[in-house]
Amino acid sequence: MKTQDMREQLAQMGNGAHALATQILGNSEEAADAVQEAIAKVLGRPGSYDPKKGSLAPWFMRLVRNHCIDLLRRRRAEPLEADALPATGPGPEASAEAAQRDEAIRSALAALSPDRREIIVLRDYMDLSYAEIASVLDLAPGTVMSRLHRARMDLKETLTRYE
Amino acid sequence: MATEHVGELLSGYLDGELTQQQRQRVTLHCSGCEQCRDDLAELRALRERISGAPLSELGEDQWRENMNDTTVQLSRGIGWLLFIAGLLVAGFYALYHLMIDSSMSFIEKFIIFGVYGGLAVLLFSVLRQRLIERKTDKYKDVEI
Repeated sequence: MKTQDMREQLAQMGNGAHALATQILGNSEEAADAVQEAIAKVLGRPGSYDPKKGSLAPWFMRLVRNHCIDLLRRRRAEPLEADALPATGPGPEASAEAAQRDEAIRSALAALSPDRREIIVLRDYMDLSYAEIASVLDLAPGTVMSRLHRARMDLKETLTRYE
Repeated sequence: MATEHVGELLSGYLDGELTQQQRQRVTLHCSGCEQCRDDLAELRALRERISGAPLSELGEDQWRENMNDTTVQLSRGIGWLLFIAGLLVAGFYALYHLMIDSSMSFIEKFIIFGVYGGLAVLLFSVLRQRLIERKTDKYKDVEI
């Protein structure tokens, strides 16, 4: 893969990776740094990605996830709180109702366990396939559907508390 | 009337990850089960909400800019590495010629070695200090 193509793909995946890292680390700024470090690692050794082993997205997400887990171990991060999620309020044109709905989703996600948050972000925010999710989370492909379904049902129930 | 709910197959159905046989099973079940139909509709709405939720406040352009910074840092690092390697090679080469030069006395060689060696040690010391300060300076990004 050409480095320029890789850079473009990484830029497109940046937000998804940041959302995933935020769910793991519980802090938007720390997550941005973690993604930046992961990008620097990839660009420093672009040959470490082998296109024959699958597409770039799951490989990069796995790298970001592993990096975040390393950071958590090293920094002993605080558990995730709703306030730690990105304060990405809507622009002035967005309605207060939309802002409340976004806040409810963020709070409900933050109330879930980390493994449930991860799988929801990978599927519903990043649109990865079940096979790709299995590769990122190091799961057997057959377990992704059941785990994702439990996470979604949990989120659905949790969301009712915030709306 | 369906008796056994399809459970996790609803998520697989929603995501297009089922086999044809499983899809047919879900379709058939949902046609007779109001609860699973409602669950499916709610899961679909939930998925759409998450896909449009602002879970990251950064844009693609920001990641592109950050990558440019990374490239600049990488090329700068390589540049410094080459410069230091060249300096070391040149230093050892000069030292070797100084040692084998028979036209100079030991005292002359010692003086030249002392001056240049001392300068090299001073340069190394200053560089090291600067590097340590750069890593630990909390206010390095503050513009005055």
